Amino acid sequence: MLLRTEGIVFKSFPLGEADLILTILSYDGGFLRAFAKSPRTTKSRFGGALEPLSHIRISLMGKEHSDLPRLTQADIIHSYQKLREQFDCFLRISELLEITMSLFGEKEHHEGLFQLLVDTLNYIEAEKESDSLRRFLFYKVRVLEKAGLSPRLQGCARCGISVGTFYFSEGSVICSKCKDTIADDNRTSGARLISMGAVNLYETIRTWSWDKLNRIMPNDKLIFELDSFLNLHIKYRIERGLKTRDFMYKTKTLATSSVNADKNEIV
Amino acid sequence: MSYGIIETLVSELMRLPTIGRKTAQRLAFYILSMPEDEAKSIARAILDVKEKARLCNVCFNISEEETCQLCKDSSRDSSKICVVEEPGNVSVIEKTGLFNGLYHVLHGSLSPIDGITPEKLKLEALSDRVKTDTVSEVILATNPNTKGEMTAQYIANLLRPYKIVVTRIAYGLPMGGDIEFADEVTMGKSFQGRNVI
Ligand SMILES: [Zn+2]
Ligand SMILES: [Zn+2]
Repeated sequence: MLLRTEGIVFKSFPLGEADLILTILSYDGGFLRAFAKSPRTTKSRFGGALEPLSHIRISLMGKEHSDLPRLTQADIIHSYQKLREQFDCFLRISELLEITMSLFGEKEHHEGLFQLLVDTLNYIEAEKESDSLRRFLFYKVRVLEKAGLSPRLQGCARCGISVGTFYFSEGSVICSKCKDTIADDNRTSGARLISMGAVNLYETIRTWSWDKLNRIMPNDKLIFELDSFLNLHIKYRIERGLKTRDFMYKTKTLATSSVNADKNEIV
Repeated sequence: MSYGIIETLVSELMRLPTIGRKTAQRLAFYILSMPEDEAKSIARAILDVKEKARLCNVCFNISEEETCQLCKDSSRDSSKICVVEEPGNVSVIEKTGLFNGLYHVLHGSLSPIDGITPEKLKLEALSDRVKTDTVSEVILATNPNTKGEMTAQYIANLLRPYKIVVTRIAYGLPMGGDIEFADEVTMGKSFQGRNVI
């Protein structure tokens, strides 16, 4: 069976001397894994096409429902080479890729996920680095929504009253009257107060169209607050820390205020 | 004869890269037909390499002694250090005969998504060498892919405080290749790295 589609390369894992196993987000079939023969040899016909972020047109050969089809052809539609060449930028994008991989299983197709990523990469590539910081946040909010894991920041999940503290175990704000309904362990394991500014920004990102979002330019402090909060929420949902976030701490590529916000988990 | 021991040898050989079941079977039956001495010397060579080979305490290349032959060789230019990802890369550069400096083997490359952070590579030791030795140039010969590039950028940043020249090996098209078959990334890199002739 020959399958032709297009996709974005997420990561590759070396196999044997010169082969690779690739993880690709396909345009129409969710994540797929493929085996590529000898792309690491300097004479490989794949050239630079299998580097992470490459948007490629691919042909895959394998038995139907094969777990590891073989990549027979890969042509670059867009390389995103510029994004790979900037250390900080590539690191932040790697975080988006890791989040996406941890939220969606293999071969699960989610309408609009592929386009969300392509749009985000295009914006980041076209914009000045200082302007593109917001794009990472937009992506995180939208990808959580696609995964059905949006945190609820407005209205207590029990009674709907609008003020409250966010409890990571509930994925929602809970008001002071209803907080006794949360199991003891969960109530003490992680909660956070979120500023009104961050709540408003979050609701805007969640509900406005991409075109309209172009117009908003939130300040860095608000971006860091919401970003750090979303990371803790994701950590709670996927039950582990992100490797890319750890890499950011260790290479000191996160803004200091962001690192402090990450540490300051419990209210 | 028990078929079990052959099967054990076959599956042990299959642990090696590029060896599938068919090749492993062919090798196993060949070993069976070999004179005992020869078979023993293969087994001994495998054990020797595991028992005696270690990492050089200066450059982290594979060595039989505490410090490797290259690091000990006083005719080599100790003001230049060439940084590579894997021990196997050293012999490829040695074969060119164009480099007479010393090496530094990182044992990997940075990869955020795989959790390969700087402290997992021999990076601190590299800074120490640059700090203390009479180094004037560090040549970054990490792989021309995203991970190798990230690693090169990280090292360039790491070494910025020291007054040394940091260079990166050139990118380009493979020799014997044809421009018609080059992808846009490889071709673009070749263009950026062009030289006056
Ligand atoms: Zn309530
Ligand atoms: Zn050495």
